[in-house]
Amino acid sequence: MSALDPTTPSVPQRAGWAWRPYALTLPALLLLVAVIGYPLLTIVLRSLSEPQWGPQNYVWFFGAPVNLTVLQRTFTISAWVTVVCVLCAYPYAYLMTAVGPRARLVLVLCVLIPFWVSGVVRTLSWVILLQDSGVINSLLRSAGFDGVRLIRTQTGVVIGMAQVLLPFMILPLYSVMKGIDLRLVQAARSLGARPSRAFFTVYLPLSLPGVYAGAIIVFILALGFYITPALLGGPRSTMLSTLVQTQVLSLLQWGRGGAMGVVLLVTTFVLLALAAPVMRSRHREAGRR
Amino acid sequence: MLKSTYGIGAVLALGVLTGAAFAQDKPVAGEVKEGSLKGKTLTFVSYGGIYQDGQVAALKEFVDKSGVKLLNDGPTEIAKLQAQVESGNVTWDVVDTDDLPPYVYCGKLFQKLDLTKLDVSKIPEGQVGECSVPAMNYGVVLMYNKEKYKNNAPKSWADFFDTEKFPGVRGIDGSGSPAGGLLEQAFKYAGGDPKAMTVADIDKAIDVIRKLGPDTIFWKTGAESQQLAESGEADMLMMWTGRAMTAVKNGAKYAPAWQDWLVVMDQMTIPVGVKDTDAAYALLNAYLGKNAQEILTEKTSYTPINSEAQPKVDASVAAFLTNTPERQKQGYKQNFKFWVPNFAVAQEKWSALMAGN
Repeated sequence: MSALDPTTPSVPQRAGWAWRPYALTLPALLLLVAVIGYPLLTIVLRSLSEPQWGPQNYVWFFGAPVNLTVLQRTFTISAWVTVVCVLCAYPYAYLMTAVGPRARLVLVLCVLIPFWVSGVVRTLSWVILLQDSGVINSLLRSAGFDGVRLIRTQTGVVIGMAQVLLPFMILPLYSVMKGIDLRLVQAARSLGARPSRAFFTVYLPLSLPGVYAGAIIVFILALGFYITPALLGGPRSTMLSTLVQTQVLSLLQWGRGGAMGVVLLVTTFVLLALAAPVMRSRHREAGRR
Repeated sequence: MLKSTYGIGAVLALGVLTGAAFAQDKPVAGEVKEGSLKGKTLTFVSYGGIYQDGQVAALKEFVDKSGVKLLNDGPTEIAKLQAQVESGNVTWDVVDTDDLPPYVYCGKLFQKLDLTKLDVSKIPEGQVGECSVPAMNYGVVLMYNKEKYKNNAPKSWADFFDTEKFPGVRGIDGSGSPAGGLLEQAFKYAGGDPKAMTVADIDKAIDVIRKLGPDTIFWKTGAESQQLAESGEADMLMMWTGRAMTAVKNGAKYAPAWQDWLVVMDQMTIPVGVKDTDAAYALLNAYLGKNAQEILTEKTSYTPINSEAQPKVDASVAAFLTNTPERQKQGYKQNFKFWVPNFAVAQEKWSALMAGN
């Protein structure tokens, strides 16, 4: 009896502990269900039930060429934004791992301070920089070049969105890069690899998880952008969110607005599902090396 | 339960206190019985900024005298109002909207107004709707860059659409719904008769605007249009008179071409299902008063909708008021009868243009 005593209580105790991590996620879970799950369900239902039950809103969506053009454009712009973010963030994040603590603090602040400024304010600043009579064009003209049209173009929208989203790329990249053991690169070098070879075969694959994480966050956030394309873009850079807004706010066609949201969501899932195997196989390769 | 208590309260109030006044006296714009709304709360919804501040200033006398507690909300969004009406919980008592919604959703989202409860005798002709009274008047006016078109100033919307005779960048209101007046002018430019416009003609009108070319700017906010004028980004701009005035005041080298300026009005409405309709009527009636309208114009530079109002404004504001006899003659009123039933079609086609199609 007494020999069993110390062990028997410990078993139920462990079982009791086992569900606690789940209990701790309960607030987050409830929040997600309440503010994401339920509204999403409503959107899906409304898209199928207004004005009457049926697929009419989806038929309408795919029947209107403007919707398809804008859907495609939304993905194109988001892809460009992601590419620009990766190209800008990668060297920056690397620099953050390479410098001393004080310089790193400065670099981190340079990322975070704009992050704390409202996106609307940053977008309006871009209007001042990019417009035809703006800072960039004045500089170009005073240097003897022709002005370039930046505002109300897709280029302008991509520049503005990339700046707003850059922190979402830099921070995950940095957190992965700072965990990479730089002695691996030294080892490659000491075995005779040129710096470029050492980078591409050792460092880059190890940093890819950070690239993927950042790219997915940036791409998905970019898909839903509203204010930046509305202020920096023209008709040829309208994104889907603007069309949803028109349907919901000025036409009161909530079913159609819902259908547009569902199409965007499903298309995003499909694209991510297609990209997932590529990312996973790269991971494994990186791990093997 | 609550409703019946309320009913008894209202009956008591009517019978004992102000019965005679409410039942027989004709309402007079701008007047409200002392203390008549004590303990009541009204939520007034408008578009914020100096406009709503001016409206609240105009309503101050009403609030002080009636004893009502006035809450402000906004900006007006018809979708939000629809959600309130659908769920049977309407918290917006008086709502300021743009031109068309009270006509498009009359009886569905907005109450049909009982004109015995309002004094509409001083409102300019043709502005009282079945579900709305005007909130103020303003105009959409063609502004052009004086330096660009020195000797060859554009005079009308026809010149605005003519990029051969008048080369340069155009700026158009892309803030939301299409301006019916502009589409009618475009259709006229294409050789049609706006009075006999059909749904198929909307495409013709939109084509005229599409042909202005890829440089055309569709501004999203009034502030943006003002900024376009002040920085000189656009050579000809379709602008709200309030913004045009401010831009000129700030030194924009632009001048108005008043011929066929588009008459616009904001509307005052009472949503379906408000808790205290009579209190909402009292607010509307006070708002229509001479004093209130003078204060509104002095604070906002928008044109008053009480024909007796004599606001004191400086010359720069007076230059953009739209109620002078001269301006009234030049103004162009959109064909409401056509746009109300075709609002959704026009919006659909307009958003396609806005989306680059």
